[in-house]
Amino acid sequence: MDNLIIRSKNNRFRFKFGQNYIILFALAALVLVFFLLNPNFTDRYNLVSMAQSLSPYAILGLGVTFVIATGGIDLSIGTVCIAAAVVAGKMYTSGLLGDNLWLTIPIMIMIGIDFGLLNGFLVAYLKLPAFIATLGTMMLSRGLSALIVSDPNIFFPGGTWFNRVFSNNNGIPTGIFWVLGFALICGYIMYKNKIGRYILSIGSNEEATRLSGINTQNYKLIAYTISGLMAGVAAIFWAAAFPTVAAATGNGMELDAIAGVYIGGTSAAGGVASVSGTVIGAALLVVIRNGLNMILAKFNLNLNSTYVTYVLTGIIVVVAVLMDVIKTGKRNKFRIRKREKKS
Amino acid sequence: MAKTILKMKDIKKEFSGVKALKNACFELKEGEVHALMGENGAGKSTLIKVLCGILSPDGGETEYFGERVEFPDIAHSQAAGISVIHQELNMMNHLSVAQNIYIGREPVKNAMIDDSEMIRASEELFERIGVKIDPTVMLGELTVGKQQMVEIAKAISRECRLLVLDEPTAALTEPEVEELFKIMGELREKGIGMIYISHRMDEITRISDRVTVMRDGEYVGTVDTDKTTKDEIVHMMVGRMVYGGQKEKSNVDQNAPNVLEVIDLCAGENVKNVSFQLKKGEILGFAGLMGAGRTETARAVYGADKKDSGDIFINGKRVFINSPADAVKNGICYLSEDRKRYGLMLSKSVCENTALASLGNYQKFGFLNDREIERISKEKNGLLRTKTPSMQQLIRNLSGGNQQKVIVARWLIKDCDIFIFDEPTRGIDIGAKSEMYELMEALAAEGKSIIMISSELAEILRLSDRIIVMCEGRITANMDISEANQEKIMKFATLRNIQGKE
Repeated sequence: MDNLIIRSKNNRFRFKFGQNYIILFALAALVLVFFLLNPNFTDRYNLVSMAQSLSPYAILGLGVTFVIATGGIDLSIGTVCIAAAVVAGKMYTSGLLGDNLWLTIPIMIMIGIDFGLLNGFLVAYLKLPAFIATLGTMMLSRGLSALIVSDPNIFFPGGTWFNRVFSNNNGIPTGIFWVLGFALICGYIMYKNKIGRYILSIGSNEEATRLSGINTQNYKLIAYTISGLMAGVAAIFWAAAFPTVAAATGNGMELDAIAGVYIGGTSAAGGVASVSGTVIGAALLVVIRNGLNMILAKFNLNLNSTYVTYVLTGIIVVVAVLMDVIKTGKRNKFRIRKREKKS
Repeated sequence: MAKTILKMKDIKKEFSGVKALKNACFELKEGEVHALMGENGAGKSTLIKVLCGILSPDGGETEYFGERVEFPDIAHSQAAGISVIHQELNMMNHLSVAQNIYIGREPVKNAMIDDSEMIRASEELFERIGVKIDPTVMLGELTVGKQQMVEIAKAISRECRLLVLDEPTAALTEPEVEELFKIMGELREKGIGMIYISHRMDEITRISDRVTVMRDGEYVGTVDTDKTTKDEIVHMMVGRMVYGGQKEKSNVDQNAPNVLEVIDLCAGENVKNVSFQLKKGEILGFAGLMGAGRTETARAVYGADKKDSGDIFINGKRVFINSPADAVKNGICYLSEDRKRYGLMLSKSVCENTALASLGNYQKFGFLNDREIERISKEKNGLLRTKTPSMQQLIRNLSGGNQQKVIVARWLIKDCDIFIFDEPTRGIDIGAKSEMYELMEALAAEGKSIIMISSELAEILRLSDRIIVMCEGRITANMDISEANQEKIMKFATLRNIQGKE
């Protein structure tokens, strides 16, 4: 995606792409290590399973990349995704939609968009801090979906066209193609459309962008709406990959997706975003989770794989963001000096 | 003869090519109030920062109580007894007065902070300088004037021997100023030397013993206050013609149409019933001291800040400007005084910064035409002779003058008719300055109208066709260039003080 703009001789882009190489290399190294430790890791079955679980995380990450590019954050994506899946699934299983399974798709997307608009309104127009506003919608969406749907589990039908199209068609991981398609669209919006340019401008210097006559509130609203919409889209892939959706599942999903975005080289301070990096970052996390699972199983280690995954993911996120800090360190020093000079 | 506390000689300081201090000199005696004066940008604050160790000088020497010193940081200068009371106070509103005074060195008893001792010591301190403040109240509940006294008390508690007061009266009411002067009198008795920075002429003549004037980072002279006049000081501050002298008469046709008319604009504390007209092809200079409300007026006209009331007419038609986007739609653009904060995306390229306002014009079928964007950026920056190796160069690597040109290029693409330049030459060097002047003149000759806010009188007189002087949120004068001079502008810029006192 980034090579669309890579033709510029700009250091920043070169560095960003450089970071892409670093995580691609890390991804390859991890796959190799996991393969050496447990050759089953590269089984066709296991690869497909990884690809299946990649889709929802990658799509959540793609959406939240836009918010992070503005310098904001969206903590609600995980719970909104599950809320969308749970509510749409309940409507289907309770017969409200008749036989029309396809109707769950627009419903999930609409639910995502609604929460995205709410976040955008709170942050852009009511000027709430993004962390607090989206923390609120995170709790709100989790609570509301559990209230509306009292069942602990919602069963989407398995083995239908729905699963084949969005997750796995006889061993072909169809979800991955959707991810690539969405990555292309997001790359287009981020780098080739003025929406993305203005979102990045806001992340670089919101006040300068506003004073240039740009309606920054609208573009922030758009960023949060994209994030919500993609949470709704992720719900489709979640339901297709894991037809049994429990309201309690997916806790912390947003953190995994956001971690993937940071690992992928999008700056937490905003202004710099890597769409391709987000997909690779999500893949890295999925590989770690799955690979560790298999190793622990093979060597009969009495360790909880979830926790080991957290430890490793935590280290990788810190290292990735540290790289970003070192990269922007010069600029920050410059800012501090500037402030001293002014006061 | 009182002992000399401080002697600064030939201090030099350069910021990325701009000489802020050339050969600044200053001397202070025990028990003396020594005023430091100069226009904005003359180097007063820089000199103070060198003194207390925030900045390290590129040359010159400082003698403090007969010893040669160069403080590495503010902690060392404080330990040596130098305290600075800044224009904006640096204290914690949510702590009590006593806690603020003793922050970082709280008295301890039995491994706990001894609050009663702290309060007792604070009371004693206030008694010493003769003010009545309850040390147990929250600092935020006090008026700005009282807060300042707390800061002075804090300085005294640190056995301060040299006190710098940087525009201490800017936010004070009349009685508070009186109280401040009373305290300064007490401190003078105790032999504390004070450096007093202020623009208010009447305060200077009342409180100070000597006046040192700086201009363009250079030492101009020192005079005894009782042997000089206000006029002489003003003359020392502004007396030079660097930029090719004053424009003789307006270039604007008397009958040229008004492109912008502002009527009774009010916005917050700093813009009170401001009305003015801007003619086609006119350069309208806004003069005044810092905080006179010029920037606030510009920002309110531009829709960057909220207005409370007032009407704006463009080409005779009433318009409603509630955001910068509205202003740009009406052909107004604004170039901020603080480019780095309000103008530029420092981490982005020249091209992206140039095209920021007009990306919408270069999108076809949903795709941005990057080639066309680069072409137009190149064209406009070429027109302005922006010095940059390529359009992809990061803007942060450009000099101040060239950064400013990139922002002008941004608005040239947008084809705005009314340019508001806020301190267009702040932080750029002399060469780039004259280029900037040529640029503004060229724009005006093309029929664009310009509002230029500047604190440099020479600049105002060199460029403006008409000059508006503001003081404390109001317009105090509106004069044609042919009847303007520096002394007259200075008089109107400090109007309230002069009227209030004489």
